[in-house]
Amino acid sequence: MIRNIFGPGKLSALITIGLILFCYSCTPGSCYDETEAKIKASFFMSDNSANEAPDSVTIFGINTDSLLYNKSTGIRQALLPLDPSTESCTFVIRINGINDTVTFQYNPYTHFLSKECGYTYYYDLGQPVTTGNIINRITITKNIITTQSEENIRIYY
Amino acid sequence: MAVNATAQENYSVADTVEVPLQISFGFDITGPVLYFTDKDILNTEGYFSYDLDEKKAVYAGAGYTSYKYSQYNYSYHNKGTFFKAGINFNLLEPSISQGKYRAGIGLLYGISRFTWEVDSFRHENYWGSITSSVPQQTDWGHYIEISPGFRAEIFRNISLGWSLSLRKLLFTSAPGDYKPAHFPGYGTTGKNISFGIQYFITINFTHKKIKAIVKEKPVSTSEEGSGTSGIPGSVRTLW
Repeated sequence: MIRNIFGPGKLSALITIGLILFCYSCTPGSCYDETEAKIKASFFMSDNSANEAPDSVTIFGINTDSLLYNKSTGIRQALLPLDPSTESCTFVIRINGINDTVTFQYNPYTHFLSKECGYTYYYDLGQPVTTGNIINRITITKNIITTQSEENIRIYY
Repeated sequence: MAVNATAQENYSVADTVEVPLQISFGFDITGPVLYFTDKDILNTEGYFSYDLDEKKAVYAGAGYTSYKYSQYNYSYHNKGTFFKAGINFNLLEPSISQGKYRAGIGLLYGISRFTWEVDSFRHENYWGSITSSVPQQTDWGHYIEISPGFRAEIFRNISLGWSLSLRKLLFTSAPGDYKPAHFPGYGTTGKNISFGIQYFITINFTHKKIKAIVKEKPVSTSEEGSGTSGIPGSVRTLW
């Protein structure tokens, strides 16, 4: 009777569509998104307020044994990961061979990304403190540090 | 099925079909079947449907879900109940559906009450690794659902069918950025739309029979061999 009404082709199609959708709905996904929130720090020249890369940039965290950037060139924006186990961390930022330390204070909080990517930490950033050897000032453009690619601070040197 | 034909020479034919309006009770067979393959996910769901006319039915469904999920960086579980209600539209012509076949779409509003917990999650970055957990909490979830589907009677008063579920989250009472990865009734969060599919077995009882007028059919004239249009307003056209 069903076949008489819908025809064998349509009935088969309806069943097949159902099975395909059923299989698809059970397929586990993979995480392709950015899962770590980092400070996006843009470098600006103090003289003309232009977003220009320093000749050389070296960055590493205090009490760590690896470099984030090592005499890197062409860096107009640096990515700085924060330590979610504490509420502050300090980086050494060497611009054109001159060292400064920059301390970030922040409030980490849990953020849900997706079922595939799980949970991560976002941060509510306070005003950074710098030793001011080559860095003149740091301004905050967006204090919530997320996985989105939007500028958080500007480093004027 | 009773068919009455009214013909007027050189004009049109208007047919009526007797359509049984039904009360239906259905339950999802997908959840229990999946539970045998994955003991971490139990979803049970049932529904009640009451035909208002040949095209519309009031729908009310409820269910219970227990869900556990873990992957490389977190493990999560929840459990709770959900309720959803709305209108189902049958898009088949009455002459085809005959009270036995349905292909249509449901527009539903869902509410879920659930407890959930992130048992552990691990975060690794430049500074090292941190593992933490978030304690259990109880929340509400509200969503709307669009559910196109198909159903056919396989035995007298027994139907089989499937429906897609496209759900849009409206609100959860979970605070701030700390949201549930999944909750009963809605499914996986974190994307704009949650998607699901279910297979139902349904028991149907006829509560009333009505006559519905089907699409007018042009009567061909023998000489010209072409159809003629019907009298305007003479019949209620359903399709």
